[in-house]
Amino acid sequence: MATEVLADDRALREARRRRALAAMEAHDIDALLLGREANARYVAGAQRLWTAGSRPFGPGCVFVRATGAIHLVSTWDEGIPDDIPHEHLFGITWNPGKLLAWLTSIEGLDQAGRIGTDSLTPRFATLLSKFFPSADLVDAEPALEAARRIKTREEVDAIRASISVAETALEAARSELAPGVSERHLAAVFMEAMARQGVTTPAIQRVAWISSAPRGQGPDAARVAQCGDLVVLEAAVMAAGYSGEVGRTWPVGQNSVDVATKDLYGRADDLRRHLLDACRPGASCAGLLAAYEDGGHPLPPFPIASGLGLGFDVPVVTRQLPNTAAQERLEPGMALTVSAYVAGQDGRGILHKEAVLVTPDGPEVLTSAPYWST
Amino acid sequence: MTVAGTLAEVADLGRMQRDRWTKLQTAMVEQAVDALVLLGNSNVSYATGESWPLADPGQANVERPVAVVISEDDWPHLFTSFPEAAERDLGLPESHLHGPMYLEFDESAEAFGRVLSELVPEDGRIAIDELPGSLRRTCELFFWNSTPASADDVIGACKLVKTPDELRLLRTVLHMTEQAIAPVQAALVPGTRQTELTARFLRAAFELGAQANILDAIWQVMPARLADGPWTTHAGVACPLLTTERELRQGDVLWVDTGISYAGFASDFGRTWVVGTEPTARQQAQFRAWREILDAVLAVTRAGATGADLTGAARAASGGGQRPWMEHFYLGHGLGVESAEAPFIGTDLGDAYDERQVLAAGMVLVLEPLVWDEGAAGYRAEEVIAITDDGYIPLTDYPYDPYGD
Repeated sequence: MATEVLADDRALREARRRRALAAMEAHDIDALLLGREANARYVAGAQRLWTAGSRPFGPGCVFVRATGAIHLVSTWDEGIPDDIPHEHLFGITWNPGKLLAWLTSIEGLDQAGRIGTDSLTPRFATLLSKFFPSADLVDAEPALEAARRIKTREEVDAIRASISVAETALEAARSELAPGVSERHLAAVFMEAMARQGVTTPAIQRVAWISSAPRGQGPDAARVAQCGDLVVLEAAVMAAGYSGEVGRTWPVGQNSVDVATKDLYGRADDLRRHLLDACRPGASCAGLLAAYEDGGHPLPPFPIASGLGLGFDVPVVTRQLPNTAAQERLEPGMALTVSAYVAGQDGRGILHKEAVLVTPDGPEVLTSAPYWST
Repeated sequence: MTVAGTLAEVADLGRMQRDRWTKLQTAMVEQAVDALVLLGNSNVSYATGESWPLADPGQANVERPVAVVISEDDWPHLFTSFPEAAERDLGLPESHLHGPMYLEFDESAEAFGRVLSELVPEDGRIAIDELPGSLRRTCELFFWNSTPASADDVIGACKLVKTPDELRLLRTVLHMTEQAIAPVQAALVPGTRQTELTARFLRAAFELGAQANILDAIWQVMPARLADGPWTTHAGVACPLLTTERELRQGDVLWVDTGISYAGFASDFGRTWVVGTEPTARQQAQFRAWREILDAVLAVTRAGATGADLTGAARAASGGGQRPWMEHFYLGHGLGVESAEAPFIGTDLGDAYDERQVLAAGMVLVLEPLVWDEGAAGYRAEEVIAITDDGYIPLTDYPYDPYGD
């Protein structure tokens, strides 16, 4: 039980930093200026404040290859690893001039020929070009994706722990399923159960949706499940920085399940098994799209697979990215969630989402939440 | 006809988006921008009225709606996984609805570039809020030899002053937050863990209809003396520090800070609580000193006042040159589609910057002075107000218990 704000464990940090350094060498990047918390956490191992939603780029973490030193924006040292000394911390600032002055004072950064950023804004693109005139500003995401796509043993342990929290919270929400239950109540129960396990940060926050009701994303009036509805529960949490995800679909009022619903569950199970079969080392991610097409299942409007890790990990497999999927090969050490989604003619759908670790011997399913069965 | 700095009786989302659209189009003309390309969650929400349960920032980079605003157009373009829902809920015409873009990937970024090159007039000036690498590569192919303009300058000018519908929705999300926090405070007893407070808060907030938790809720146990807290770069107070499974003890002083979102608006809540006992006389004196600072700031707060007027009042009321707020933050910040947005008052941008911040009716401020009393921790709370022509109106009415009379 964590009663203190701790930096990530040394073994986890060192294994990740080795991978990050190797990727910098391979991509000929001399220094990283990172704005994305997932990347910053990957190289620094520091725990900083979680907020939801996308954030614009701002260089909050610097990693210089020549010195091996990490420099962080943090006003305090709580949650900061002991290998990042106080002199390498810079207090939160609202003043771009002060931030740039700090960056230019960092040893080795002014000598960097190629500086990688994990995104940019127009303002930082201009400022960084001005203050580092001799450096090429390059996209560091390909290097970071290459480093992060293969999980270290310590990372896999963290993902397993996160999945366990998600599954326990999913079960708490599932046990509330009954005619008259609202989507928001299920989300509320999920969030409470997550936090009671010591994890206070969700990865996605649309926890429950009644698959037969028209899809909306906005602040709908509380939507209520009726007997015969299928309710999708998507559980996703960030525990110690790592995402754990699982998805299950349950009918409301089990006595009312008809033949068509049973058939739909059968198809979902069939698709799920084909998707898992496609997670073999060496296989192309196109095989995941093919699992849908071969079974005659229309591809859903959301990704059918995405990497598990610190947030935004490759692969991302969706019908909009067929060429990307064809080029991406699965390798041992990759962890991903795979989504099997089937819909009936009445609009009711079933989503089963599994976490999979690709191993040399084939896919290892990390999720174990129960399915509905007759 | 609506009046700046007033709240609509009932929020009219259609009117809110029409008002925003007029402002966006005006600002684009003023800043000579022909097309706005918006990737940031809050910017997309502002331009389209779309709102959704916000995800972890990593996930939010991959699966996110994207908006494009063209000068002299009637509607924003929205790229989304759920165009039917956007057509139904936002009233956007089919011509302006597109499938989702995954702009982290070259394949999608190139497809986006092709669509954009049809939407944006040749030689049109584009402003954008974020430039992930794949989009930079694409846009070099399609458009720019130089860096595009900053879309944040356009959006920032528009969202500074809230319309009556926006103020109504802000009040709604602020009240939802207060309703969710009340049972948490009522159940605060020694032996409770910090994470249990989060569990109770999230349970209540989502039952009430919150769309998302936007900040890992803070229940920070304050040390009596700075030296008992973590090292800081400025030798001042470290806050906010993260929540753990730490068990709360009788007499602990908690600095509370939470926020949720609803209908695309962010809330912000801040108070100081004492665990399991009444505040001491010394702690009550801290609160009175805090209240005096807040009252002094409120006394000069009205349309036309500058940020420096507010910081000056706060300094004077705290009895000297001290800045009675967190050195790494501010005396006050705006609130709207983001949990901290302009205007920012009392930051390290300096006094000259604060002097240039002129308040206008309809702006929203979260005022967060603090009183630090070395040896006995201190008091901090957040007060949310909307600026009016002759003063302000409070947007919250949560009590300061257990402090005060």
